[in-house]
Amino acid sequence: MGNSNQLHRLQSMTAALVGVFFFHAIIGVFGLRLAIAGLAAFVLGAVVVCVAFPAQGAES
Amino acid sequence: MKLDPSIIARIQFAFTVSFHIIFPTMSIGLASFLAVIEALWLKTKKPVYLEIYKFWLSIFAMGFGIGVVTGIVLSFEFGLGFARFAQMAGPAIGPLIALEVLTAFFLEAGFLGIMLFGLHRVGPKLHFFATCMVAIGTLLSASWILSANSWMQTPAGVAIHDGHLTVLSWRHVLVNPSWLYRLPHMLTAAYLTASFMVAGVGAWYLLKGKHQHFARRTLALGTAFGTVLIAGQVFIGDILYGTMLKYQPSKMQAAEGFWEKQSQSPAPYYWFIVPDQNNQRNRFQLGIPYLGSIWLTHSLGGRVEGLRNTPRDLQPRMGMVFYAFRIMYGLAMVMFAVGVASLWLRFRGKLFSSRWFLWILVFMTPSGIIATLAGWYVAETGRQPWVIYGILRTVDAISPVPAQALLSTLIAFVCVYAVFITAFLVFAFRIIRRGPAEAPPHAEASGSVKNAFRPYVLDSPERLVNSNITQRS
Repeated sequence: MGNSNQLHRLQSMTAALVGVFFFHAIIGVFGLRLAIAGLAAFVLGAVVVCVAFPAQGAES
Repeated sequence: MKLDPSIIARIQFAFTVSFHIIFPTMSIGLASFLAVIEALWLKTKKPVYLEIYKFWLSIFAMGFGIGVVTGIVLSFEFGLGFARFAQMAGPAIGPLIALEVLTAFFLEAGFLGIMLFGLHRVGPKLHFFATCMVAIGTLLSASWILSANSWMQTPAGVAIHDGHLTVLSWRHVLVNPSWLYRLPHMLTAAYLTASFMVAGVGAWYLLKGKHQHFARRTLALGTAFGTVLIAGQVFIGDILYGTMLKYQPSKMQAAEGFWEKQSQSPAPYYWFIVPDQNNQRNRFQLGIPYLGSIWLTHSLGGRVEGLRNTPRDLQPRMGMVFYAFRIMYGLAMVMFAVGVASLWLRFRGKLFSSRWFLWILVFMTPSGIIATLAGWYVAETGRQPWVIYGILRTVDAISPVPAQALLSTLIAFVCVYAVFITAFLVFAFRIIRRGPAEAPPHAEASGSVKNAFRPYVLDSPERLVNSNITQRS
């Protein structure tokens, strides 16, 4: 149980860091090209997650 | 006490336009959301989409009505409160507002009735067409108004002779330097507003354990749209920031809270300041080290230009611009975080069961409206002391109207608008409390316009529904 909680916490922190990275990329901290690439990657990733995981129980 | 008519005229316009913008923001976002939902209903034939459509259509209709009425007031205020502005800017922005009426309003007026009342009277495809036309109408309306307002921010395509403005190039008036970025920024704000409203209401039902199927579908759609849109909004916002820095540096200098011609290196990012406009300094400031350089100059040690770069008589009030910008930007960051969290929870299959997240969504329900209002405060207070940037000052645009007349109409507006907002909130909460009505599985009409004129359709929609089921089976 402890290991599972720690793993969950680690995964959540990783997700948060990925989010922070994408935010900085999209606002152009790493330049315009990376901003466009970051935006495209984030939107594509979001669409893939939303399509692949329509959320439990959404369909009946 | 002597009342200053210029101050009261500005307060009156600020109040009426702030109240107004809430409703178009909702209706632009909800119209497109309804078009998407109806398309999904037509494609999948799942009754839940019809339920969602009918539910949000009622709220859209109320918001649309109040938006139209409060928008008309603004046109009159141009002439009554800001006659010099109307006189000068009329040749440029008058046709844009007229074109809004001729294109957007006529389109909306033509199809709104079908959208609101025609579900049982025309075919589903024609009804969907009507919904799309209304959604396009809202987009057109936003385009013309943003074009007019952006021209006030970054005027182009005109010449001034003896105080009279002549249009040299309509293309430049329409597609002025900031319009290309401000229009998508505003449209995305409207879509975000709708997304977070929809997700928030879905989250509320899930927390209360009511209308589960409807709630799950709306929350899933709202968070999905919101996540994609906020990423786009952050990107567009950054591009717009750069554009405004080029054309209206004083606005962005005020938005960042620095007074010095060049800030220290590395520059902090201020979240709280107590500005002292008279002494051109901050009495108190609180920020995060390095973040100003990283976010604003995209380097670790970059310096940020302060408001002293703008002559004192051409400076906007820093406090208003700074805090409006912080509210808008802060909410955008929270929205982005909520979007990332929604993806993570969706991936883990806990989107509907994480109560902490559902509560966040409930609190975020009005976030789009608040962020949009804050954004408009940045745009309008940051442009001061100009009403048309670099051409006409706000104090020179005021009509020679007695302060008492302005004050009495302001009080009247406050009273009437208080009734509007109370009525809207009462009815919106009543609709939300009542929940989505049980939509019949085949609520669409037969597909023929002729049915609209047949008396039995008007008498008994159920009969038509039953006949549809019979025809299909």
